[in-house]
Amino acid sequence: MAEQAPAITLERVCKSFGPNRVLHEVSLVLPAGKILVMLGPSGTGKSVLLRCLVGLMKPDSGRIFIEGEDITALDERRSADRDKLFALRRKFGMLFQDGALFDDMCVGDNVAFPLRQHEKMSETEIAQRVKEYLDAVGLKDVQRKMPAELSGGMRKRVAFARAIALQPRIVLCDEPSSGLDPVMSATLDDLILDLHRRYNMTFVVISHDTAEARTIASHIGLLYKGVLQTFGTKEQVLRSNGEAINQFFDRSTKGPIQVL
Amino acid sequence: MLNRSLRWFEACAAFVEFLCAVCRGLLTGPRYLHETLRVMDLLIRRCLIPVGLAVAPVGAVISLQGAGLFRMFGAESLLSSLLATAIFREYSPALASVMVAAQAGSSIAARIGTMKVRGQIDALAVMSVDPIRYVVVPGLIACVIVTPLLSVLTTLLGLLSGWFFAVPVMGVDHGSFLANLYAQVSLVDLWVGLGKCMAFGTAVGLIAGFLGLRTSGGAAGVGKAANDTVTMTIVLILVADYFVSMALLRLGV
Repeated sequence: MAEQAPAITLERVCKSFGPNRVLHEVSLVLPAGKILVMLGPSGTGKSVLLRCLVGLMKPDSGRIFIEGEDITALDERRSADRDKLFALRRKFGMLFQDGALFDDMCVGDNVAFPLRQHEKMSETEIAQRVKEYLDAVGLKDVQRKMPAELSGGMRKRVAFARAIALQPRIVLCDEPSSGLDPVMSATLDDLILDLHRRYNMTFVVISHDTAEARTIASHIGLLYKGVLQTFGTKEQVLRSNGEAINQFFDRSTKGPIQVL
Repeated sequence: MLNRSLRWFEACAAFVEFLCAVCRGLLTGPRYLHETLRVMDLLIRRCLIPVGLAVAPVGAVISLQGAGLFRMFGAESLLSSLLATAIFREYSPALASVMVAAQAGSSIAARIGTMKVRGQIDALAVMSVDPIRYVVVPGLIACVIVTPLLSVLTTLLGLLSGWFFAVPVMGVDHGSFLANLYAQVSLVDLWVGLGKCMAFGTAVGLIAGFLGLRTSGGAAGVGKAANDTVTMTIVLILVADYFVSMALLRLGV
């Protein structure tokens, strides 16, 4: 049997906005079915990295392979490439930082949206699937509510249900635990582990929560000032005794990571 | 100065690219009929009352001002000809379009702008749904269809209010009012009016979509996109309306 292509491969990815260097020669290989927690202080390019992964942004240089296919070679403006890009994006589910739910749709329609767009399912099957996923994220009787009626944490959970509705192969989560209480945050971690076990999904989780990294990660990366300081399996990284990673896990102000 | 010109060129290039994407979205699937109908319903409900309120006084004013003037020349039976020409040819298309620009243009630009700054446009793209096809094209089609419909309504309302202030209020004879109503207007005026409305509706839908998608900078950016859409489209409509009227007069239509 041929070896499965890694879920995500980054080769010397660079991205700048004007004089601001956001990503500098980031390279990594994440095997399929793993959970990568990408740590790093705010504003160090973690979200930009996620946007590059799904082709919402193009790196200035370097290449990104999704299950062996080069997403950076596709130009959304060319129609043949756009079809390929959209096909490639079907492999992804993405949880945006503040949910990005559609304001003018109720919760049920939000979760059903990707199913209605891409699956030939009857409304009864869709309703069943929506209920199943909303139950999974711990939400009951919210289907008819509008996103504006929900708390931030609830919105995030609805967004998570929407992100996994199509059972994607790779799920990208932009700070899933921020704004959630510790119990709900732990519930979401359990859910990630459960989905990972059941469907063998690959997860890339952007976070500053070291507890979350310890609980769910199979791989840990640390991004600071656009440079990937550390990357490896959880055991490797925790054993590595690197200054930056220790500072992050010890919540210390002394070390290479500076606020200013 | 150089920076400004560069930005201007960049915006023009982006608009051309946007136009190509919209044409592609119009000509090829997937199409979102349900979304188009939803936007149309929203626009009609938003525009109906403001458009009615804006056009009814116009018919009234023409009748009130015109009746006295025409009576001095003993030609008050011709008042309805002036009223019909003014309403059919100019006021109805221009007012309906301006109101669509103000109500529909701002609401479309604000909706798309809000979706943009809240990451919903990106969410659509990540879910492999083309934002141009899903949010811009339905808004554009809705504007193109709703504007002529509203123009028909403004025409009827304008004529009705004109009749009310000419006949019961100013005492013009009902029979001669009706007899002369269509003396100066023809079917061509109706088609030209509806054609203008469709063209203006297209401009509103395109500008609102373009500026909405270019929104940045949070709530202030959304406000600016809505504001710019209204200003640009109203100026464009009034200037274009002038040139179309001039061209038609020259052609003797």
